[in-house]
Amino acid sequence: MLNVSNLHVHYGAIHALKGVSFNLEEGEIVALIGSNGAGKSTLLKTISGLLEATEGEVSYQDEIISGQPAQDIVSKGVIHIPEGRKIFPKMTVVENLEMGAFLLRDRRLVAERMEAMFERFPVLRDRKKQLGGTLSGGEQQMLTMARGLMTNPKLMLLDEPSMGLAPVLVEKVFDIIEEINEQGTSILLVEQNAQMALSIADRAYVLETGRITLSGDALDLMENPLVIEAYLGG
Amino acid sequence: MKPPNLFRKSAEKGLVYSLVMIFMMMIGFHVVAANLMSKVFGVTVLRGSIPEVRFMAFVHILFAFLFGWGASDRQRDKKSRIRQGLITSLTAGGIIALFSVLLNYLVEAQIDIRQYLTAFSADSMRYFILNQGQSGIFVLFAIYLFTGLLGTILAIIFQSEKAQTSRQSLKAKIGEAAQTFSDKMPTLVKKHWKYGIYAILVVVLLIMPMRWGSYYNFVASVVGVYVIAGIGLNIMVGLSGQLMLGYAAFFAMGAYSVALLNAPTPHGIMLGFWPSLLVGVVAAMIGAVLLGLPIMRLRGDYLAIVTLGFGEIIRILLKSDLLIDFTGGPRGIHAIQGPTLFGRSFTSDSDYVYLILVFIAISIFIYQRLANSRTGRAWLAIKEDPIAAQATGINLRGYKLLALIIGAAFAGLVGGIAAARNAFTGPNDHSLMVSINVLSLLIVGGMNSIPGIVLGAFALRGLPEILREVETYRQLAFGILLIVMMLVRPKGLWPGSRPVLEKVDEEVVEEISTEIKKPKRKRTHA
Ligand SMILES: Nc1ncnc2c1ncn2[C@@H]1O[C@H](COP(=O)(O)OP(=O)(O)OP(=O)(O)O)[C@@H](O)[C@H]1O
Ligand SMILES: [Mg+2]
Repeated sequence: MLNVSNLHVHYGAIHALKGVSFNLEEGEIVALIGSNGAGKSTLLKTISGLLEATEGEVSYQDEIISGQPAQDIVSKGVIHIPEGRKIFPKMTVVENLEMGAFLLRDRRLVAERMEAMFERFPVLRDRKKQLGGTLSGGEQQMLTMARGLMTNPKLMLLDEPSMGLAPVLVEKVFDIIEEINEQGTSILLVEQNAQMALSIADRAYVLETGRITLSGDALDLMENPLVIEAYLGG
Repeated sequence: MKPPNLFRKSAEKGLVYSLVMIFMMMIGFHVVAANLMSKVFGVTVLRGSIPEVRFMAFVHILFAFLFGWGASDRQRDKKSRIRQGLITSLTAGGIIALFSVLLNYLVEAQIDIRQYLTAFSADSMRYFILNQGQSGIFVLFAIYLFTGLLGTILAIIFQSEKAQTSRQSLKAKIGEAAQTFSDKMPTLVKKHWKYGIYAILVVVLLIMPMRWGSYYNFVASVVGVYVIAGIGLNIMVGLSGQLMLGYAAFFAMGAYSVALLNAPTPHGIMLGFWPSLLVGVVAAMIGAVLLGLPIMRLRGDYLAIVTLGFGEIIRILLKSDLLIDFTGGPRGIHAIQGPTLFGRSFTSDSDYVYLILVFIAISIFIYQRLANSRTGRAWLAIKEDPIAAQATGINLRGYKLLALIIGAAFAGLVGGIAAARNAFTGPNDHSLMVSINVLSLLIVGGMNSIPGIVLGAFALRGLPEILREVETYRQLAFGILLIVMMLVRPKGLWPGSRPVLEKVDEEVVEEISTEIKKPKRKRTHA
């Protein structure tokens, strides 16, 4: 479904991705783990068109999408949920969700999806009219995910959904991710919380300073001594 | 118990207050204030002369009262409030008195420092201490101390719970009366009273230009031009969040299009006003594209600096000898022909006021439609968080560019009209100051609000025209107004409420939610 080959990205002189290749099949959850500054967010941004690659290409459903503008990639069903809870702080919850459906023009469909989001994230229903910026961190995370789901994406790029959440909430977020996946959305999951990420992923890649150094089935990687030492606090 | 920092805070406040007065004196504003005061009392002062001394005293008393009023914190109890008022008034009075000692010394020693501070003439210094010399200093101190205390006491009384509840009950009574009044109104009036007000406003606007003479028509057209410019700039800054400091460049494009195509010199094309105006609008839009494409990635300070540079480059080009044969150089272009409509040419000031009013109406209409559209929502999202906006599928570059183009079109339009109205345009009509004025009117009036823009345009362009006498102090008044504004009403005089986005109406959501819930319930019962 998603094929990334030999991807290079530069920030000026900084060489953030140095030839990354990997793939993701339809229906999978693929985890991408790596330490701070490894280039995980850079990779997601490049896939979703927020950044441009200097070399290499990204193809999605047999079409090259690297180089296309972000909004075209969104309209193909690839949704990027950026790290750091990028909600619209001065819009209400409902308005945030509407923005998520910006590309949908069918009002009834938007209302339906919104209702579905309220079913899945009941906290949001209680806070319909509250401004995004006044939600708690956990609620904001729910809102960014709900907003991303408004377009019913085929592929979701999730950047550190558990960042700064209490353990109970982390569990819940991961449950929701699994649920979304079961309903047919493929997921590329970037996580610091390797333990949790590997426990729900089918496969995983390890990214270190711009290169993929390890890959394999999530369960195998969990037992890999290198991974245990570096990422599972072993 | 006395809070430990009460003393220091109040003393600081007194210091700030006294500095306000000292600053006023240093720029000679105390004479202007006394002048205004004398106007309030209906006493005319000869131009260039200093008003009667009692008015200076009134100014001191007024400020001392205000200082005392502002000295204490509402939350504190009476005793500490009085103490605060006392400390603040003492500090303010003390420092002002010390400053007056200095003034008195300068006057008596006949030291002339006017070459450094023009306001330090002996007359002006003496006037500050009420023409009294040493005893004036004591009077001043007494004024600041006692009037200040009076201010504090009145503030306490006025803000006491009793006073507040009685005011609230009064408000409630008025509200009730209004309610019963409106209940008695026929439903027709109840529903459409707003349109009634609009209608009255329109009638007034239609009649006034014929009645109030050409001077006020001149003022009205200046304000009107700035209203349209403000609406245009608001689309760039207020709606899409791009700080534009070179707005006057788009003005220039409209003005010069009309000038070059519809004036006898330097080209004598005489295309006619309306086609020239259209060319001007299109030229401004093209200018926006040329500027916009390379700066799309810039944000914040960088964007501001580049747009500022752009504005200056355009102005300098117009002014340069290089293009003198083409643009008329620094002297500008004269005798620009105005519009004709139905065979009648626009000659009087009121004609232009009507023309501008029509375009204001069109601008407001376009602005409202845009702000509440899908495009408006995209702009808002971009302004709040560009990355999140992009991630939801908004075409960042496209929408930002669109805001620039539409905003520039307004500027081109208004530049063309102003050039025809003045029958002249030159490089100095499009200086940085124009850009800053338009931006200031948004800040003073309030972003994203039509009434705010109108108020801002009036405050920044209309008031200075009406208060011609204080013309010299206009820049200063701007400065003070801006500072006070930012402190008192940081969002402007009449800020806009954010356009409501609720595209999905609640009813549909409710309906769907009940639909979804129904089958579930059945299942559990079965
Ligand atoms: N806008 C930028 N300009 C310059 N360098 C950048 C920029 N964004 C990221 N980088 C650099 O690129 C490298 C990769 O950053 P990236 O954000 O992709 O890391 P990450 O793996 O997501 O880290 P984290 O887990 O901390 O979020 C880092 O060295 C970072 O400093
Ligand atoms: Mg990251």
